Amino acid sequence: MASVVVRDVSLNFGAVEVLKSLNIEVEQGEFLVLLGPSGCGKSTLLNCIAGLLDVTDGQIFINGKNVTWEQPKDRGIGMVFQSYALYPQMSVEGNLSFGLKNQRLPADEIAERVKRASEILQIEPLLKRRPSALSGGQRQRVAIGRALVRDVDVFLFDEPLSNLDAKLRNELRVEIKRLHQKLANTMVYVTHDQIEAMTLADRIAVMRNGIIQQLDAPQAIYSRPVNRFVAGFIGSPGMNFLEGTIEGGATPRFNAGDTTIDTKGYEFADKPETGTKAVFGVRPEHVMLGEAARAMPYTSEVDIEIVEPMGSDTLAWTRLGGQNFTFRTDSEYAPKEGEKVLIGFDPARASLFDAHTDIRL
Amino acid sequence: MADTVETAVAAAGARPVERGRWERWLIAGIAGGVLLRLAMLLGLSVWFEELGTAGDWIVEGLPWLVLAFAGLSLIAVIANSASGFSLSGNRLRGHVVGWTIAALLLLVFDLLGPQFKPAVSVLGKPARIFIEFCGEHGLFLAAVCLLVAGALAASGSEKQLLSRPGIFERVWALNLTAKIAAVPMMLVALGVFTGGTVWTVVYSFTDSRLLPREKWVGLAQYDRLWGEDRWLISIENLLIYGVCSLVFSIVIGFLLAAMLDQKVRFENTFRTIFLYPFALSFIVTGLVWQWVLNPDFGIQGVVRSLGWETFTFDPLYNQDIVIYGILIAGLWQGTGLIMCLMLAGLRGIDEEIWKAARIDGIPMWKTYLFIVVPMMRPVFITTLVLIASGIVRVYDLVVAQTSGGPGIASEVPAKYVYDKMFLGQNLAQGFAASTMMLLSVLIVLIPWAYLEFGGKKRG
Amino acid sequence: MVDTASLLKMASVESSPAYDALTGPRGPRPRPRFSRRNIFLYGTLLVVAVYYLLPLYVMIVTSLKGMPEIRLGNIFSPPVEITFQPWVKAWAEACTGLNCEGLSRGFWNSVQILVPSVVLSIAVASVNGYALANWRFKGADIFFTILIFGAFIPYQVMLYPLVIMLRELGLYGTLWGLVLVHTVFGMPILTLLFRNYFTSLPEELFKAARVDGAGFWGIYFKIMLPMSLPIFVVAIIIQVTGIWNDFLFGVVYTKPDTYPMTVQLNNIVNSVQGVKEYNVNMAATLLTGLVPLIVYFVSGKLFVRGIAAGAVKG
Repeated sequence: MASVVVRDVSLNFGAVEVLKSLNIEVEQGEFLVLLGPSGCGKSTLLNCIAGLLDVTDGQIFINGKNVTWEQPKDRGIGMVFQSYALYPQMSVEGNLSFGLKNQRLPADEIAERVKRASEILQIEPLLKRRPSALSGGQRQRVAIGRALVRDVDVFLFDEPLSNLDAKLRNELRVEIKRLHQKLANTMVYVTHDQIEAMTLADRIAVMRNGIIQQLDAPQAIYSRPVNRFVAGFIGSPGMNFLEGTIEGGATPRFNAGDTTIDTKGYEFADKPETGTKAVFGVRPEHVMLGEAARAMPYTSEVDIEIVEPMGSDTLAWTRLGGQNFTFRTDSEYAPKEGEKVLIGFDPARASLFDAHTDIRL
Repeated sequence: MADTVETAVAAAGARPVERGRWERWLIAGIAGGVLLRLAMLLGLSVWFEELGTAGDWIVEGLPWLVLAFAGLSLIAVIANSASGFSLSGNRLRGHVVGWTIAALLLLVFDLLGPQFKPAVSVLGKPARIFIEFCGEHGLFLAAVCLLVAGALAASGSEKQLLSRPGIFERVWALNLTAKIAAVPMMLVALGVFTGGTVWTVVYSFTDSRLLPREKWVGLAQYDRLWGEDRWLISIENLLIYGVCSLVFSIVIGFLLAAMLDQKVRFENTFRTIFLYPFALSFIVTGLVWQWVLNPDFGIQGVVRSLGWETFTFDPLYNQDIVIYGILIAGLWQGTGLIMCLMLAGLRGIDEEIWKAARIDGIPMWKTYLFIVVPMMRPVFITTLVLIASGIVRVYDLVVAQTSGGPGIASEVPAKYVYDKMFLGQNLAQGFAASTMMLLSVLIVLIPWAYLEFGGKKRG
Repeated sequence: MVDTASLLKMASVESSPAYDALTGPRGPRPRPRFSRRNIFLYGTLLVVAVYYLLPLYVMIVTSLKGMPEIRLGNIFSPPVEITFQPWVKAWAEACTGLNCEGLSRGFWNSVQILVPSVVLSIAVASVNGYALANWRFKGADIFFTILIFGAFIPYQVMLYPLVIMLRELGLYGTLWGLVLVHTVFGMPILTLLFRNYFTSLPEELFKAARVDGAGFWGIYFKIMLPMSLPIFVVAIIIQVTGIWNDFLFGVVYTKPDTYPMTVQLNNIVNSVQGVKEYNVNMAATLLTGLVPLIVYFVSGKLFVRGIAAGAVKG
């Protein structure tokens, strides 16, 4: 059964449409990530699910119950915030139990739940401390604990790791994944960090301007982006985009300047007409160099303009069809600036987009 | 290249100890000379009066002697200098020239002072004071200026690269413009705020009446003060007014702020209405409320004309409750400010705290009471100090609303001070009373300053 | 061509049949316009607003009535016959003691005090704040701390020493003496205001200017001043209302013919001799309150910012 259902939800702030008739179903125990640039409405959608914002239209179901008009506390959700939002004047224990006390739960039950949550999160030694005496990672753990003690089926995360430094972020990311495995709760997680999204999610919803662009498994979003925005947003370094035209009938060819790429093996959604202006997208990591390139369906000899060593691998800048083109290679075999090298890739792994609509061809 | 620098450093390295010691003596000499002269002016000369002419010589000559010692130190500094003494290539040439010019000007005013009489008649008293000052101290100050110029010249002869600037340079040449620009602030901080306060406290131990005079009477003024009905009533009024005003303005101010924080429509209109009395002076406030509380025509009159013939509400004419009449006006004037401060504090609270509380299902009043109010503690404390220091000063409001009446029922300390100093020709009583006011503020202020600034050390 | 709508269809999931019918609660939570909470909230706010507005209303109404009407009616009733006579009298004819020039003289005195005081105090304090924020030198903090303490110390402690200082300078009882006093007592709050503001400006700007060879005054006039117009407006608002509303310094440091408006107002209204003319009194009170009220209503948010900046950041 679907755990969280968002049906035709719209939200307007005055004349501004923040969410435009969204539909999402999150399965029981699924980890869904809402991903997008800032201002795309992902946090707004999460607040709507939590009941912190009223929707303008549409419905929200949680565990099969229509909760559109319910108060946040009655929706069966727990939420973790970016700024942790811990109550600064209370101890960690107070933070965990304050909500439960307000539900008038018996004291031993509260103690039991606090104990369990602090065991899971390994914050037992911190229970008597104030939030101000905790590190960022510890605070975030307490914030998760506050959602945990509520004993609910759905967890909502609003950019929970954005305030942490890079190293801690990686650690806590793994911990959240572990937590999900252990609890098997439904989790909806908002972030603008694609690595978090790719690593954590069962499915990702990529959002932009209040619309879900693509809702799919991480791998599918990576390899078959539905439009140019998703293609560009996912992946680092970003996908190469070559502008040109489609030509030919049975196996269309892509023309960009003096370069022609045969699209054999590429699965078109619709065979495009000759002369369609198109954008050809290749991920830098799908480009091969030297001997490996020879085995590829498409090869070309290019001049290396700039080399950016990044440790494990190296990013090389060149030009293809008169346009900027980057590819990634092993640092051991990295080309030098000014060198002429052979590169190649498989058009079947590439993406073609209509130049006008930006939609995948 | 590197070689020459190294040898130069080595050469300089041998000297700084010497240079530092003589430089310290030089500073001590100049400061000592100036301070000694100041001390003589302020009364130290009394000790030498008995010695007759010899005493006069000591009074006049001792500071000069100290300066002469400073001059010797200067010569020692120059003699010990690593890179010799040079004026043309001096880093601090501008400063040296400036101090020399100052010295010359002082000399000119000292010697030619009487020639400036016509200018004085145009420029008025400040100019005359200046000329007289130069006539008396010009020579001495010129010498001081010359010493400073010499010291800076010596310091400026050193290559900046080779040694960190000497003490003298740091004090007198580094960021000199900034220091000069801050002179008004220093004068006010030391001369008015510190000096004035100390002066008043000191003279509260005298029996000054129409004019201040140094006849010491110990704590007699304080004895009289605390034996006087009017002062006791003033203190009682201040306590009642203070406590009520603190409690009510904070409670009402916070409640209003919390209400405005509920995303009400016309928030700006309401805020404008609640705050406008704060723009009005206490005089205007007092006069308006004097009229509104007028027993014949004001609230009491209106209610009586509606049929309740025995309705009585005449705080300004009833000794027992007159201070509450003033309180009403004071709250009307000041609560808007408190509301604004509280509102700013509320707006400063992380939005996500509210969200978290809603998810936890904590009722709004509990969120305010147990989460938001504790988080706003700094705002409350600042507000408290602000109100408290304002309360002690309450003066205009009383003058306008009741003039202290009926009788002396609504007197306050600030009015007591003014009346004693400027109407009652009893200065020392006023000084004693104002010292008590100072004391009461310090009782609030010092713990606060300690909490606010002492704990976290400046950062 | 594919537009965004069909793109949306592609992206969205097919809804399962169980939720197909749009039944049950939908859209925003129903919010009754007149819920108990709203009635209580707006009711309270309105009552308080009326309480705050009442004195202003009474002032205006009273000042427009004739004396006979005041003696008969109540202070809240609007004037039956509107007369501007009280205003004219308050401005030009009302008496303090033997002098019967009305408030006009006090008004012009106040203006003459106000303008140089505002200019001088802000000029001095902004330079102080700038020196404290950007040219920190040893000992500056000590002076600043004393200054801030001075803001809380009761003025009464410093009243008489200042009388002596002004007398020595020959400024006691003159307008310029009062200007000096306002500059001195305006210094703590304004210095704090400017220091905080200049500290909040990016320090790189200051450093860049120094690298470019600008000096103390060069940076102040060419970099800092152009960037700090808003804070100067805030300072002007604070000083204009503060100095206009001052009573204590006016009464201590000036003589009857240089009394500022507030002092003269108090003398007119609270003078014991003669019949009390309440309408004239209220007109005079309104006239005195007019300048700060206009400043307040025109400046709006900046006024609030001024008091918040002055108070909270301390």
